[in-house]
Amino acid sequence: MGLRSFIHSMTAPRTRGEAPEDEVKMVFVVNHGLKMGKGKIAAQVGHGAVIATMKAGKERPGHLESWLSSGQKKICVKGNDAEHLERLEQEAKQLNILTARVHDAGHTQIPSGSFTILALGPAEEAKLEPVTGALKLL
Amino acid sequence: MASTLDEPTMALIVRHDLNLSTGKVAVQCAHAAVTCTLNAKKTNGRLVERWRQSGARKICLKVEDLADLQRLAGQAQSAGIVSYLVKDAGHTEVEPGTITVLGLGPGPRRAIDALVGELKPY
Repeated sequence: MGLRSFIHSMTAPRTRGEAPEDEVKMVFVVNHGLKMGKGKIAAQVGHGAVIATMKAGKERPGHLESWLSSGQKKICVKGNDAEHLERLEQEAKQLNILTARVHDAGHTQIPSGSFTILALGPAEEAKLEPVTGALKLL
Repeated sequence: MASTLDEPTMALIVRHDLNLSTGKVAVQCAHAAVTCTLNAKKTNGRLVERWRQSGARKICLKVEDLADLQRLAGQAQSAGIVSYLVKDAGHTEVEPGTITVLGLGPGPRRAIDALVGELKPY
């Protein structure tokens, strides 16, 4: 983003967007096959949350607004491997749920470019349920 | 080209004495990361943009207890670094209102390293 458009994005009045009907949350699916350490997971989920937040600010401001004002509800679940995360990403997209990927820069622990986290939402809980409801909590 | 030491960074500092689960820590760190990013955007949008462009560097560190966390938060405030203490809603694992994680930055790496350079990775 250029400086001017960035300044515009900071100063322009907020677009309202459609308000969600239900409680919204964010779900992070961690690629459990990578055997990342817990600090690594925390930092990667942090990445996912920031990316998803910025994306929602542009594409779903109504959802972002209600997610932020209702306490930023989020959960962390386990995915088996990169293929599993990709499959969940496709399912989420079909349901019009906002998705964001985290690929690791690979400075530590795992190969560069690994698909570490799939972030879903902010989206209505009922909408997320069929995609991530069966996954185990991390 | 700026050296990596000039690139902005973020530090997420976890209280070790609470023995939180991995998922819980991840979620609390995410909370800190989002809130710090949004707060920093209000005061220093260019720095946030530079941080994101350079890969949004984040590190996850630990301290022993609440006193350590609060001391760091105070030091960050005096140094003019964006900081945010995450209070857990307490639905699971800990009492409502428990302070779990401190987020610092995004801010100049030198200034943040000066505060957290001694801490161990989580």
